[in-house]
Amino acid sequence: MLPDGEREKLMKVGLVSPYDFASPGGVTDHVRYLAGRLRNHGQQVRIFAPSSRADIDFDTREFYRIGSPIAVPANDSVARITLSFHLGNRVAAIIEQEHFDVLHFHEPLMPALPLTMLRMSTTANVGTFHAFSHSNIGYFYGRGILHPYLDHIHRGIAVSEPARTFFNRYFPDFPLRVIPNGIDLNVFKPGLSPIRHLRDENVNILFVGRLEKRKGLGDLLRGYEFMRERVPHSRLIIVGDGPLRGQVESYISRHRLPNVVLAGYVPDSVKPRYYNSADIFCAPATGAESFGIVLLEAMASGLPVVATEVPGYMSVLEPGRDSLTVRPKGWAELGAALIILARDAELRARMGAYGHEKARRYDWDAVASQVIEVYEEAREAAREAPRRAEESRVHNAV
Amino acid sequence: MWRYRAFKSVQSVVERLPRSLAYALAVLAARLAWRFSPLARPRLEYNLKIACPELETDPRELRRLSWLNFRNHAKAYADLMMLPRTSVETMRPWLKVQGMEYLEQARAIGKGVLVVSCHMGSYEVVSAIWSATLTPVSLFAEELEPRALFEWYRDTRARLGISVLTLDTGGLRRVLQALRDEEMVVTAIDRDIVGTGHPMPFFGRLAPIPLGPAAIALRTGTPIFPVCVYRLPDDTYQAEGAPLVFAKDTGDPRGDQIRATEQVLRQLENFIRRHPEQWHVPHAIWANSP
Repeated sequence: MLPDGEREKLMKVGLVSPYDFASPGGVTDHVRYLAGRLRNHGQQVRIFAPSSRADIDFDTREFYRIGSPIAVPANDSVARITLSFHLGNRVAAIIEQEHFDVLHFHEPLMPALPLTMLRMSTTANVGTFHAFSHSNIGYFYGRGILHPYLDHIHRGIAVSEPARTFFNRYFPDFPLRVIPNGIDLNVFKPGLSPIRHLRDENVNILFVGRLEKRKGLGDLLRGYEFMRERVPHSRLIIVGDGPLRGQVESYISRHRLPNVVLAGYVPDSVKPRYYNSADIFCAPATGAESFGIVLLEAMASGLPVVATEVPGYMSVLEPGRDSLTVRPKGWAELGAALIILARDAELRARMGAYGHEKARRYDWDAVASQVIEVYEEAREAAREAPRRAEESRVHNAV
Repeated sequence: MWRYRAFKSVQSVVERLPRSLAYALAVLAARLAWRFSPLARPRLEYNLKIACPELETDPRELRRLSWLNFRNHAKAYADLMMLPRTSVETMRPWLKVQGMEYLEQARAIGKGVLVVSCHMGSYEVVSAIWSATLTPVSLFAEELEPRALFEWYRDTRARLGISVLTLDTGGLRRVLQALRDEEMVVTAIDRDIVGTGHPMPFFGRLAPIPLGPAAIALRTGTPIFPVCVYRLPDDTYQAEGAPLVFAKDTGDPRGDQIRATEQVLRQLENFIRRHPEQWHVPHAIWANSP
């Protein structure tokens, strides 16, 4: 039984994601984990998202599948979102029936689900901005249309400093609080059973991510080729699937790259064991990363990191302490950094230990507590907002 | 290499098909192999006649069982080809387990579990589900030819959390490590792949049988859990476990290994006699095999 004060703090929260919930991705994982932790804190949580699969293992009472996603190219990647604007009636009925205390929108200005729900919402609204890019045509040309939607958001969150800077470039007067992505330290930790046949005399380099251009796998393959000549006992493990799979396979066979493991899509339950089968984690993205949750997963698993100096990654990494960083698209430098770490087990152990310690700061429990603080502020702001509107109407009348 | 390319081309089509269609193709391939294979069918039928002597006098039944065996074997290959796109969640309702209490008893001892079996059914399903729900599973099995095919097979199983360890000293070292970490190791002893088997009666006739698993059990104190997996008519799977076998140390290692292996063999014979249509061994097991 919770004390009265605590019970008052319990809320009914709706988490809204624009992305296909059946496809793996940073925002989807964020929503899934946040939902879990909020529930652990005693909050009631419902998730709204489009999904390409109806048979996925969702708890139907707590998941509303709204719309079918289609693939839209965006930010050097593919966003699987629903573009149907006929969601209004269904969404309105659910909002009416559920009586949410807070609706938490992830990428709130993304069509169509978050925008539709934001328009319908009559409760406290919180928006989390995940994306980072060099430019965003939608934000640039759509500023006029999107601005009124922002007025509905009572509190804003950015997942990293680069994500905040990026958003504020288009909407400078909208305040955002930085709350980083979280990591589940019970899931990602050292000492788990490795994939045993991958643990041999080779130094294992691990890549985790969708096989798409912006993740920079092409540079890693070149860097690995460069490294193999100098460190023959090495192996590259590629976890993830995506549109470039065919090209990656053909590069490996054309260049006769030995010891490359294309693991394909690995389920979440097995992924931590891949981290525990590796010696070095490599994240060679070329630019548009707002945070890089994989870096946290690697650090929590006690791995040293070789990464490119993109703003999202640099907001997490401390080069020289937990990682070696190189300029983006510099495959030779990437290869050289891998060689340094592959040849120096002591350095790997030191960086891995530092990263592991640092990952504690990003524990989901701590992150969820910060998000709940923002929910409280948003509810307060939502209570204030109608009063202020009323006062201003009275003022104008006088 | 052409064999791997051919396999990969077929596999990339099969993995995209619905399960029913993939099985239909598998049955078609099985029909061709059953009719035209020069060696596989005679070898299988030779083995079946030794396992079930009554088939010597019943050619119709032998024919029926050997056809069903090819059919089930081809479906097991289809399962393997579909593995890259299959999730544990999808597979979980397909598995029924009998004898789970023996597995729990073995795990409670805290020295890992050595699952010893024969070439029956689809082990991927059981291994993937046990790996996701109980403890990580390693398969201790032969290296396939060509190498590229073996690597594909290994990587495909790894993404379901199954390690594939080869029958060599490196593999053995990792098997011991896995058992020390209280994990599960699955292996089969009905074929002597490395050629170091000890001749002992298998269905009443001497066949070379590997003593490796019994040697491991004797050294580590790990219980041996005899298991078979077979396909049910609705294309789900039944895993059936028998009571645990403990390798007892009497100071005569060879004799102890043979005694433990014989106990396991009796259980496996029992499994095979009940499901001869699922014992996929188109290989030479006994001398004088075609």
